[in-house]
Amino acid sequence: MSRDDESGYVDYFKVLELDETAKPGEIRKSYRTKMKELVSEIAAVEITEERRNKFLLEMATLNAALFLLRESDLRDAYWNDRKDLIVLEHQWRAAAEAGENTNELRKTFDGRVRDFLSRYVEDAMLAGGRDKECVEASHWDAAHERHASGILRQCRHEFFQQILERLPYADVTKPSIDWTERARFASGVLAEGAV
Amino acid sequence: MFRRAKKTAITKIVDDTTVAHALAKAVSEGDFVNFRLLFQPFSPARPDSSELFDDEKYAYLLPDPDTESDGEFKKAVAAVRDAPVWAHVQRELSERRPAQLPSELVLLLADNAVRLGKYTIAAQAYELLRIRRRMQDEFFALADKALDEGKTARGVHGYIVATGLDYNYAAFPEPLPLVPDWQTRALIVHGEYPVSPENCLPLQPTEVFLRNALAYLLLGASSAARLESRPLEVRLAVLAELVKQRDPEWREFVGRYREACKLMHDYETRIQHAVAARGDSRISLAREIEEVLGADPREIPATLLGRTIEDGEWWQYLKELAFEHPAAALFVSRQIIGDAEIIVPRYRGDSPVTPAVGLLPATAFQPAGSSIDV
Repeated sequence: MSRDDESGYVDYFKVLELDETAKPGEIRKSYRTKMKELVSEIAAVEITEERRNKFLLEMATLNAALFLLRESDLRDAYWNDRKDLIVLEHQWRAAAEAGENTNELRKTFDGRVRDFLSRYVEDAMLAGGRDKECVEASHWDAAHERHASGILRQCRHEFFQQILERLPYADVTKPSIDWTERARFASGVLAEGAV
Repeated sequence: MFRRAKKTAITKIVDDTTVAHALAKAVSEGDFVNFRLLFQPFSPARPDSSELFDDEKYAYLLPDPDTESDGEFKKAVAAVRDAPVWAHVQRELSERRPAQLPSELVLLLADNAVRLGKYTIAAQAYELLRIRRRMQDEFFALADKALDEGKTARGVHGYIVATGLDYNYAAFPEPLPLVPDWQTRALIVHGEYPVSPENCLPLQPTEVFLRNALAYLLLGASSAARLESRPLEVRLAVLAELVKQRDPEWREFVGRYREACKLMHDYETRIQHAVAARGDSRISLAREIEEVLGADPREIPATLLGRTIEDGEWWQYLKELAFEHPAAALFVSRQIIGDAEIIVPRYRGDSPVTPAVGLLPATAFQPAGSSIDV
């Protein structure tokens, strides 16, 4: 399986630039270094709405990484759920390519992927923001959480979109798109003028 | 003893031409709701449903003679009746499970929706086909190319289509198309009462105003940011065209805005005379308006809107104004007059924006500028 096959399944080891065998000490060290760099960057620039959203997401992601990877039980649960889900996705895709009935696989995968993203993206980021060690390093507070809720939801949905790109079509037959024709269509719409 | 009667499966003969025409009508009109309805379990198109196309309540699903002679309808019929598509449609209508929609028809429906300006529907249909982002990119690229060639109207149209295809992935509980909800956006623009008149958006320096105005009219800062590097005169032309394309009735608002400005100008003149005559520098615009209009300064927002909202608050006038004339929200600000809060026209006299959008001629008087102390 290529790394592209795993996009959308948030990889907190990658966020901290570590591999899955990293020890708690390495995890904490990487987190603190990256959080310090982020806080310095925030202090050095003018905060616009776009930058604020970007920084909030980066901060929440680092906090979630520390929160989940610091302790073995949470780390193992997260990493195993992630691996299982990637395998399930491949099973579904293989079954669809073989022309098998994939309805049950689809329903199972759909429930589990939503649960995974909800638990390990939104919930973990919020939990990280309430964790003492994370709060000390990031100064995350209730105002951050308020601003971040919409951004985290968007992040979760965007991860899902990355996964969706690879999944077999279910609600609609697989389209055959000619992008030269699409460009021609778009050009024709603009040539016709505003509605 | 009573026994429950056995349920007998409902089967009826469904006319193929009727089904094809109903689908074609939905496709040609870019009507995704009706298209999906035809595949629902209760659809009159299904042989096992008790619903009938002959029923008057389903008359809207079927084309009238005018529609039947329409070119797009005929094209849609041909697409529906295309052998593999038709075979798939018939199969899906017979199966007892959620239907898998034919992508060829969904794509044609989405394209028709774009042509008809139904961008929300197009966004949903393209999203289902997983091509929405790339379609957006196509329109943005064409729009930028048109602006590079000096074709402002085409470029702005491209931006309107591209932003119309946007999705709000932060929506709860599921992502939704990003709709141009002007009433909400206008309230966000005016969310805080300006501490001093100079703080309000219409009185900001041209670059600041333009950035905010384009973000408002293009439904977000990221779309507006694409124009940031273009020369000022290009951005002004884009703003003017955007105002016009978003609001074909803009001229109507312009007339009322000028009337409201004249009202404000009259008050300013009276203040200046009063100050000169009595040397009373405590006279303010707020007091002056209050004196002239008494307890109801809503003549000004009513003039802007073109009608009175009974007991209408400032935000009610703003929402109605933004709904009817989206760009109007960019040229007003909140103002407390006595016990009431209203919206008043405000613009920067030295800015090229108001002549560019045709709001006021370049040589107009300059009421409600930063010189007025309220």
